[in-house]
Amino acid sequence: MPRLLLLLPSTTYRATAFVEAARRLDVALTVASERPSAFERAQPEGLLTLDFSAPERAAAQVLQFAHEHPIAGVVGVDDDTVVAAAAIAARLGLRGNPAAAALAARDKHLQRELLAQHHVRAPAFALHRIDDDPAALARGVRYPCVLKPLRLSASRGVIRADNPDQFVSAFRRVAAILAEPDVAACGEPARRLLVEEFIEGPEVALEGLLVGGRLEVLALFDKPDPLDGPFFEETIYVTPSRLPRAAQTAIAATAQTASAALGLVEGAVHAELRWNAQGAWLIELAARPIGGRCSAVLRFGKGEGGRGQGTSLEEIVVRHALGMELPGLEREDAAAGVMMIPVPRRGVLREVRGIERARAVPLVVEVAITAHPGQQLVPLPEGARYPGFIFARGETPAEVEAALREAQRRLEFVVD
Amino acid sequence: MNGSDIRITAEPVDNDRCKFVVSQAVYEGGVRRFASPAEAQGSPLAEAIFAIPGAGISEVVVSGSLVTVVKHSPTPWTAMGRPIGAAIRTALTAGTPAIATRAPAPPAGEAVDDDVLYERVAQLFASRVNPMVARHGGAVELIDVQDGVVMLRMGGGCQGCGMADVTLRQGIEAMLHEHVPGVEGIVDVTDHTAGSTPYFAAAKK
Repeated sequence: MPRLLLLLPSTTYRATAFVEAARRLDVALTVASERPSAFERAQPEGLLTLDFSAPERAAAQVLQFAHEHPIAGVVGVDDDTVVAAAAIAARLGLRGNPAAAALAARDKHLQRELLAQHHVRAPAFALHRIDDDPAALARGVRYPCVLKPLRLSASRGVIRADNPDQFVSAFRRVAAILAEPDVAACGEPARRLLVEEFIEGPEVALEGLLVGGRLEVLALFDKPDPLDGPFFEETIYVTPSRLPRAAQTAIAATAQTASAALGLVEGAVHAELRWNAQGAWLIELAARPIGGRCSAVLRFGKGEGGRGQGTSLEEIVVRHALGMELPGLEREDAAAGVMMIPVPRRGVLREVRGIERARAVPLVVEVAITAHPGQQLVPLPEGARYPGFIFARGETPAEVEAALREAQRRLEFVVD
Repeated sequence: MNGSDIRITAEPVDNDRCKFVVSQAVYEGGVRRFASPAEAQGSPLAEAIFAIPGAGISEVVVSGSLVTVVKHSPTPWTAMGRPIGAAIRTALTAGTPAIATRAPAPPAGEAVDDDVLYERVAQLFASRVNPMVARHGGAVELIDVQDGVVMLRMGGGCQGCGMADVTLRQGIEAMLHEHVPGVEGIVDVTDHTAGSTPYFAAAKK
């Protein structure tokens, strides 16, 4: 039985999906996290603590571990763990991305430099330090622009500015976020930020799998809520995309070129792109699968009548990492969508009402409230947690989108 | 009570397993597990779920206000949620007990096996498992053992924890397989949405 090493940060939404995928595939599993499990001493073969912030040290530790418990594949599930996974794969000779490529996917500045070198259409950018004078910088910036931390995810700390006053205000706000202890802990990257050109046009998310450098597009999601700022809160993802076929082809080609530019060759890819009269623009590319609980909308392997046979994204990722045969990578025929429920307002969550009414909306499959009573809800740009997710399936993307919106309307968050 | 007054929230664990959290108690006599339509006889709620056409239901576990359904068919939970919800509502509003108070007594040997297992699992939970999870403010309660399947409920820091499934599968299940031969599986009947002090809360995208 091959053994999978799964790198799960303790704050992940992805534990259940990946653990269950490993169980379905009947593979031996070792879960590594950055904080010790209560059972690590009792189950040293199945649980490991690794410092994801020191990938080479983690790789050396895993090499020792693998002498006793051979590992056949490694999977990281988020931006930090994929860097550690790359180092581990290199050290153990496993399928994976070069460490430099994984680093480039995580570091937004390095990523933009490589995209520019390889002539991938991406926003013009400049790197600044948080102790630079924002008023002086504001005079030299082209507007509208977007200020963006180098390492944060879920649009945390991403702010649009249309003029110098907004720039100065946004700069100070981003600097304050970067000074928060959980962010400052990542060191030098938390002392810098990007200022980049704002790109007009609808945004899409591409979910893909790299196999030997070739990008297999698993799904293309439209984001029907305009992402024009000042904050960039992602809400609805719906697939299949309603963009013209030619646009979808160009978007996939851009994602493929961008992956190659970064040096990525194996594993899951999640890319954010925009589309306008000039073509496809690469906004972000991550060497990991889609985040949150969003992967639950994806089902692969067409059965009778085009219905998905139930292969999950996580199962595909695990199979690929272990070199197992891949099932059909074509998504089911049905349209599917997810809403990352926006934080209604800052405060302490007391209760969520209307869950059953939301579930009763035709086409809605699931309403999952992931915030717990007593949890502090923090909206963007400071926050990074969704209070929950809504999932829907239907014949067309339009009716799925409508169902998601109706379900959200029926939810009431009681926040003090 | 009208069926429309009953609120049910589905929490798919994966393609095979889904929890249905019901707004009222479904069964207050502990845990009942039904592994076949034959075992469900006499419990209208379980009978109705097994009878859903084309669903391929393989297991129904009922505890408190939680109904856990396991299937081995490609039918998505999308298609399953509504008929299961309807079956639960119908059974709860029929005026008769939705779940029989206790399974028919099994042959003596099997009963002893589960009883023996229960004692061993309880001992392991008390001596090893709970002291470990207590370090994270958690607790694990043994609910029952039926046909070698251990049913448990997580509380404290484990309830709603983002790593609860890692604890469950890599920790508790692994220890059970190591220390209590005869354990066939493990069913978590926790309502994780009700957890208010999870040790690890999901934060990143």
